[in-house]
Amino acid sequence: MKAKKGELKVITGNSAAAYGAMLCRPDVVASYPITPQTEVVEQLSKFHADGVLEAEMIEVEGENSAMNAVAAATLAGGRAFTATSSWGLVYMYDAVLQAAGFRAPVVMANVNRETPGILAVSSGQQDMIQTRDAGWIQVIVENSQEILDTIIMAFRLAEDYDIQLPVMVNYDGFYISYLAEGVRIPAKDDVDQFLAVLKTQPKRTIMDPTHPIGAGSHGLMTEFMELRYKHCAALDRAKKKFDEIDKDYGDFFGRSYGGQIEEYRTEDADFVILTSGSAVGTSRTVVDAKRAEGVKVGLIKLRMFRPFPQEKLIKAIKGKKAVGVIDRSVNFGWNSGPIYTELRALYPEIGPMPILSFIDGLASIDITKPHIERVIDDVANAAKGKPYQAVTWIPLEERE
Amino acid sequence: MVEKVRKLPKTFQYFKDEDAFAGGVAFCAGCPLELTLRVLSKVMGRQTVIVGTPSCSAPVLYGQNVGAWHKLPYYSCLMTGVASSATGLTRYYKKAGQDVNVVCFTGDGCAADIGFQTLSGAAERNENFIYVCYENEGYMNTGIQRSSTTPIGATTSTTPVGVAGRGKNTQAKNLPLIMAMHNIPYTATATLSHMDDLAKKMQKAMEKKKEGLVYLHIFCPCPVGWGIESDMSIQVCREAVKTNYFPLWEAENGKFKLTQTVSSPDPITKYTKMFKKFNHLTEKELAVIQAEVDHNFAFLKHLTEFGAHGQPAESPENNA
Repeated sequence: MKAKKGELKVITGNSAAAYGAMLCRPDVVASYPITPQTEVVEQLSKFHADGVLEAEMIEVEGENSAMNAVAAATLAGGRAFTATSSWGLVYMYDAVLQAAGFRAPVVMANVNRETPGILAVSSGQQDMIQTRDAGWIQVIVENSQEILDTIIMAFRLAEDYDIQLPVMVNYDGFYISYLAEGVRIPAKDDVDQFLAVLKTQPKRTIMDPTHPIGAGSHGLMTEFMELRYKHCAALDRAKKKFDEIDKDYGDFFGRSYGGQIEEYRTEDADFVILTSGSAVGTSRTVVDAKRAEGVKVGLIKLRMFRPFPQEKLIKAIKGKKAVGVIDRSVNFGWNSGPIYTELRALYPEIGPMPILSFIDGLASIDITKPHIERVIDDVANAAKGKPYQAVTWIPLEERE
Repeated sequence: MVEKVRKLPKTFQYFKDEDAFAGGVAFCAGCPLELTLRVLSKVMGRQTVIVGTPSCSAPVLYGQNVGAWHKLPYYSCLMTGVASSATGLTRYYKKAGQDVNVVCFTGDGCAADIGFQTLSGAAERNENFIYVCYENEGYMNTGIQRSSTTPIGATTSTTPVGVAGRGKNTQAKNLPLIMAMHNIPYTATATLSHMDDLAKKMQKAMEKKKEGLVYLHIFCPCPVGWGIESDMSIQVCREAVKTNYFPLWEAENGKFKLTQTVSSPDPITKYTKMFKKFNHLTEKELAVIQAEVDHNFAFLKHLTEFGAHGQPAESPENNA
């Protein structure tokens, strides 16, 4: 069976996030405004005022309270949504760790923004990278339609009985958050139907006074290790589950994104470049242009960052001659990009090949077509066996 | 033969359920927390979820000590997240149409310091839950450090007495008054020497939480931290009331009322000499504490002259 086509509306990325959340009928929404996420809170409040969203809206006094409130609401048995960005994510960090440790199936939109300094109110994925070890599922998306669709998929993933983990849907602040484009908005009853499978699953353990349980007594030593082990196992399961949900979504709504990663012209490629978020769109255009010139380059879009899609990446990259990674954040202590560092861990499996790190787009520097052409040229040369530079801070070299 | 029926103390009329706590719980000897919790569970009943943090109450409430158990569901969160987690729970139960008492149970360090923002936020939003703060005037669980409700002059491990140190050098934050100023439906102080008053206020809390946030501030002296003999804690509670150091009052919809009047208050020295934390104080320093107690009480008395929200002020004569 197919879903209805849905209404086509020109909306911003933030609005798309709010639509995605609203369509899933959350019981509780708690959020605190921060640039560039504010519009998500405003739009959800508007939905609530208009009677379109029948959730308990909690106008919290800070992000820390937002995360605590939504985590507790999910553990009481509800569906809950929040959205934040940058310092907001940092300010809720203790509760972010706790939500994952409590296996609270929260869905959160994180609008990627830099952290230090008053002038760095700008795009960058450093906020998300700072929470990579929190135990959350982290997904990075590319455009407004994907934001909306992925938030719906995120609820199905988070609340799945075999997963029960919080999911963070990341999109580049400013670039995607404020850009208005055409978005297909699914019908509410179709979203209900897509999420209905959750109701057929066993009920997760909740805070119910008639069956008293304790939350937060995490045991000692082996008990604690067992919880950590199970958490890791659930993260592992989330990879395949995310692919399945993406496929289901595609079958029903007619849009899918490849699950953990999307491969673009990689099959016959000699070498590949890998990136995430809003840079993917530009990269596709440049890859097409280079292909027209006869350069056999492919593109991998990383959608799932946590858990890291090892198996998919090995399959996509093994046998290629080189790979270049464009990161919109840095890995302090490694002087390279974080996704690059992660990929380096797959070196034994993907075989000997040059892996190049490109740092670009910090603080809203545009990742332009010339930047990506340069990446492709550098990786092409490395693939031919020429000497290469391991880490390149693209905009800084341009200036010289 | 007719058996003589012993009349139960008045407190029992407020009990609606059995004690939810196992016998022999893991609090320090003489700690008023045990009695507070037992009374709470009897008055508030089993449709209660306890929300709290790592603290003195954690060994019993939140599973830290597996030998001391109870039958209430609990949500043990971080000190920064008590009132906000309670908000999330309360709102979901409300949405789902379930009648559950969400009761936060924390010390003064959480309520007045690290968890204050979120408590204040929940009060302003007038969330439908009960916040119980057990006031032991410091961070007792981590080893007697000062909190913002530690009184001036008190010695703690972070305000020690030495050549230069004279104990804490600032006044205590008046948390119950601050909470009442949030215009919540019900704020009250209570302590264990006045059990009827305590149980009555807990029962009232259950009613008033239907209107919004309820804040109960319960004076719980710490035998270990203050240097009190373990059989003297209730006596200390009583003397705190008799000296007006800890007056018992309530504020219902903005109407302040003393629930226990002390006709001729004892001098503060009668209270301060009961334990060790004020031992080092000179007469002059004790006079500062007396002046502060007098000021705070006069201030509170003045507040009782005003009517509830939306009502004209009453004259002082009507409020004996």
